[in-house]
Amino acid sequence: MIDQHEDPRFEQWLKDAAQSYHAPRPTPRDELWARIAERRRRSVPVLALRPWARWALAAAAMLVLGIGIGRWSAGGGDGASPNGTAVANDTTNRDLLYHVAATQYLSRTEAFLTGFRADLRDGQVSPRFTGQARDLLSTTRLMLDSPAADDARLRLLLQDLELVLVQISQLQSNGVSDADLITQRMDRSNVLPKLRSAIPAGPVPVRFEGAL
Amino acid sequence: MDERELIHRVRAGDGVAARALYDAHVDRVYRLAYRLAGDDALAQDFTQETFIRAFSKLDSFRGDSALSTWLHTITTTVVLNGLRKVKRFHTREADLDEAGAVGVTPRESEPDLKTRFARAIDALPEGYRTVFLMHDVEGYTHEEIGAALGVETGTSKAQLSRARAKLRVALADFAGEWAT
Repeated sequence: MIDQHEDPRFEQWLKDAAQSYHAPRPTPRDELWARIAERRRRSVPVLALRPWARWALAAAAMLVLGIGIGRWSAGGGDGASPNGTAVANDTTNRDLLYHVAATQYLSRTEAFLTGFRADLRDGQVSPRFTGQARDLLSTTRLMLDSPAADDARLRLLLQDLELVLVQISQLQSNGVSDADLITQRMDRSNVLPKLRSAIPAGPVPVRFEGAL
Repeated sequence: MDERELIHRVRAGDGVAARALYDAHVDRVYRLAYRLAGDDALAQDFTQETFIRAFSKLDSFRGDSALSTWLHTITTTVVLNGLRKVKRFHTREADLDEAGAVGVTPRESEPDLKTRFARAIDALPEGYRTVFLMHDVEGYTHEEIGAALGVETGTSKAQLSRARAKLRVALADFAGEWAT
């Protein structure tokens, strides 16, 4: 298709001028590879989660979650056996698993962000926060790819958390001013209140480190 | 080692081969991510996500196209989806900012060519902007762009032509720059 605006001089000028638009710096190869390798290493247990492990996880979770999520496993409140053998079907089991995982994840993230803000009030940003943010970021993305994100409200919350965690994970050790900006954004978008309201009341389920 | 052999070794869990595959493609992936995102942290994040997905899906790569083509498809998907999320987040923040800044009228000096140029590119529709940056800035062919974006080659050409036309109008004040 020949466009009436085509002009070789303009096109060349455009190409030359555009080189300065978002001009990238040299690729931080080793830094990026270290992050990729670390994330791949951490994601292996997730991929290797076997069906029996899911069943065990679901059954154990039922014992600790109690009445708050009983309806998830009982399929309408007809009573779940505490030994976990009365799980109605695979779908219910899967929903329960993701519900447990989401609750755990939200609790951990809430604790992390609260700690991050508290640390910042003391005028410092501990390097451990960037590492923890990366861990939580990986989990956030797994949650976004899971059926847990079918819930529109949870998905929006996860997307907000993903952005906050990306920013924290990129913080430099002396980045107190950047961290201030992150907490200001968190305040304006009400991330923490939304996070807290998304966590079901009652006991936090036992921790299954590495389950997700 | 040719590409098929490299892929075979990565699938078999060879870490050295994985690094070699990464080294062979990371520059183009990162450059494209940076051009589209305009932010180093985002570009790094998108590059990381691209390779994580590529490694996890490598078993599904059938070799119908070049590995680079397949990788660029993942890159554009990751970057464009990621930028939509960021845009949504910023839009909500901007709404909050506006709500708290009623009556404040920012003053702005006359922007120079570089600023106007950047704004004109930013203002392009997503499809036009992506094709323009891939073709005119990063040197991708229309065939590569079509494969990466899942559109016909003709569509890529048409979008580039429209992008240039829009830029020409937006930058008409600077016509002397290219007419001489």
